[in-house]
Amino acid sequence: MNLGVRRTLDRLFTGLTGASIVLLMLVLMAVLGPMIYRGSGAVLFDGTVEFRRMQRDLFNRADRDALSAEIAETDEARQVVYEMIDRFKKGIDIAAMSSQAREINREYGGELRYRDATAEEYTESREVARTIRDKLEEAFGSQDIELIRKNIAEVLAHKDEPRFKGTVAERFFPLATDFLDAAEHIDLSHYHDYLVALDEVEVLLFGSAERPGLLGPRPNQVARPLAMTSYGATRWDQAQALLDRLVWAEKWVEKEPGRPLVKERSPRAAMFHGTALEPLFTYVPEHIDEMLRPRFTVYWQFFIDDNFDSHYFGGVGPEIIGTLLITVVGMLFVVPLGVISAAYLVECASEGPVMRILRMSINTLAGVPSIVFGLFGLAFFVLFLFPKLGFEPKACILAASLTLAVLTLPVMIRASEEAIRTVPRSYKEGSLALGASRFRTFVTVTFPAALPGILTGVILSLSRIAGETAPILFTGAVAMGPVPKSIFDPTRTLSYGSYDMAVGDRLAMMVPHNQYGMVLTLIVLILILNAVAIVLRSRVFKKLKGH
Amino acid sequence: MPATAADNQATKSDVRMMVTLNRQPTPNSKTPAAECACPVIRSSGFSLYYGAKIGVKDITMEIYPCSVMAIIGPSGCGKSTFLRSINRMNDLIPHVRTEGLLEVDGQNVYDKRTNLINLRQQVGMVFQKPNPFPKSIFDNIAYGPRLQGIRRKEELQHIVEQSLKAAAIWDEVKDDLRKSALALSGGQQQRLCIARALATRPRVLLMDEPCSALDPIATGRIEDLIGQLQSTYTIVIVTHNMQQAARVSERAAFFCLGELIEYDRTEKIFSNPTKKQTEDYVTGRFG
Repeated sequence: MNLGVRRTLDRLFTGLTGASIVLLMLVLMAVLGPMIYRGSGAVLFDGTVEFRRMQRDLFNRADRDALSAEIAETDEARQVVYEMIDRFKKGIDIAAMSSQAREINREYGGELRYRDATAEEYTESREVARTIRDKLEEAFGSQDIELIRKNIAEVLAHKDEPRFKGTVAERFFPLATDFLDAAEHIDLSHYHDYLVALDEVEVLLFGSAERPGLLGPRPNQVARPLAMTSYGATRWDQAQALLDRLVWAEKWVEKEPGRPLVKERSPRAAMFHGTALEPLFTYVPEHIDEMLRPRFTVYWQFFIDDNFDSHYFGGVGPEIIGTLLITVVGMLFVVPLGVISAAYLVECASEGPVMRILRMSINTLAGVPSIVFGLFGLAFFVLFLFPKLGFEPKACILAASLTLAVLTLPVMIRASEEAIRTVPRSYKEGSLALGASRFRTFVTVTFPAALPGILTGVILSLSRIAGETAPILFTGAVAMGPVPKSIFDPTRTLSYGSYDMAVGDRLAMMVPHNQYGMVLTLIVLILILNAVAIVLRSRVFKKLKGH
Repeated sequence: MPATAADNQATKSDVRMMVTLNRQPTPNSKTPAAECACPVIRSSGFSLYYGAKIGVKDITMEIYPCSVMAIIGPSGCGKSTFLRSINRMNDLIPHVRTEGLLEVDGQNVYDKRTNLINLRQQVGMVFQKPNPFPKSIFDNIAYGPRLQGIRRKEELQHIVEQSLKAAAIWDEVKDDLRKSALALSGGQQQRLCIARALATRPRVLLMDEPCSALDPIATGRIEDLIGQLQSTYTIVIVTHNMQQAARVSERAAFFCLGELIEYDRTEKIFSNPTKKQTEDYVTGRFG
């Protein structure tokens, strides 16, 4: 092989290694990039006035005066929307109007009784009021615009009669004018469709008992039981999505028979063409900024806040505490146990069939699916061991940590074993030659020299313990509940929380930022824990190397 | 051990004086002449087997105090095995079996009742490759004394200083005893290891090719050091370097294939050996 070829090959090799590293970085970025991007949305976003209201009410955290002023301003902009809706409702909400008419009639009758009037006057007035009511009801029930016009005109003829002055019956007339006004603009044959469409619009704007709307419940409306439906869109991205659904109606239509349905978007304004509601669909998009006031928000409290309504609002504070607790308690078991086992395997164990089986078992244990460990933890720690030791047999942090410790023990043992084995024999011999016992040699020379390798094991098991879900499924994790007071309480964790959000209910789809935020928090937490261990390891390593 | 509490007390008060005067200390307060009569190490018919394999076979020899004894021989002849038998370092290897008698100070090394810890503190060892612990210089030297239960700071400091001075490395490291021992050069590390062995105040010092990993200058210094230590300690040195054996030792033993071929005064081994095998080896015709 000549020099040129060799040089080319060398370059090729260097290039290949470089390329593989770049590839690795790209894959890492492809995995972590979207996670980081979407997860950061839980902390960095444009928060609306609704978000600030929510923070004030649920977390007692706001500049109250400034917020009140802001809410007053946004209410002003929203007032137009409320009025439009109310006006339109008058034309189509026939049941409501009929009952209103009946109500007025009844009240008027009551009022008459206390009037200083003769029997004839009383009877006549009652008669007239009843006629008005009947005419109105006829008009409400009719779809014939001519009949409506006639009836309303007849009703309005009574408007200036002195007997109605200052009475409840005066309210008949605005009702009549409003209805006529609405009826003139509405295709009465479709009034039921209008009702359905209006209901949809109202849910999109004000929310319902199940889902939050764009602006939140109207003022003076009955308070809703769920926090999530008591506020409008707290985030600008949510607001945008809701606005889009408000402006564009989606419908599944069958384009060709036998083919899958196709989603079709049509402007919702077209449904309300010519009615009092039509301007709403231009007013809301134009004035959404004034109604919601988006402002860039750094919600760092995401990492300390508790959540409301299955993570619809709030953060992951208790989850972080739970994860740290489980990890720390787990490490307290796995590190000493792993190091001692490894020390035994390297320093004391003789090679025999028993040791071979033991080693094989350790290796096999490392490959057992984690859900099996979860069931084992439930059966052994929770149901068997705890009652024997006098504890209540319930899932708790201790059981979860023990289960995770068993899960990661093989990893810890293997790493420590390797680390202890690679300590130069000369260290051990030097110590033994000075008269140290084997135990003393291990504690004072072998263990410190093996510490960097042991810390590698710590890093590996740390990540595993902090991130595992299946083993704690039955042994200590819950989706909801208070922050644990001791290790005998169950806890929420980031890993289980992510799982629960993903499978628990459809709510998670409404708050993907919180779901990603939780996962990102878990990743960052593990990275921080690892970074601490890595820094520690490099310091130990440096000390060992004598720099 | 002669280095008892009385000894420590006597020297303790001297510490400050010695430091202030910066005087070379007397190596150790033993009187060599009185002990030179009987052998320190006595082996008769000693054999060692690794399972079925022979390590050394039927060694009979006596090593006298306050002298340097060199063991020479081709690779794999059992030199190191014999050396490591003296402080029972071979115990680490599984399936080792011994026969015959090996005594240090009249005490049978392979007796079941032998206190291994005491034995190894009496018989210090220096290895082929410098093997300081990954600790500070101070902690390296203080390792042995600490094992003996010495905890007092001044006492430890005194021993560390004495040992480093005895190993002729004090002047090089005295300013930075907290520095990691691994930051020293190879030659310094080896002298540190000698100092570490001296810190337990042994009677015998075993050296397993102590210079084979060092350059000629460092080797020269170690050899000078051996010359200095000779007056106080019994030194057994295994070496491949025949010039070195000739330079440092009073007596020499030639091993071949696990057997002791010849054991005599060094001049005689190198100038006029009795056995043909020895002559072939020292003249370079074999091995």
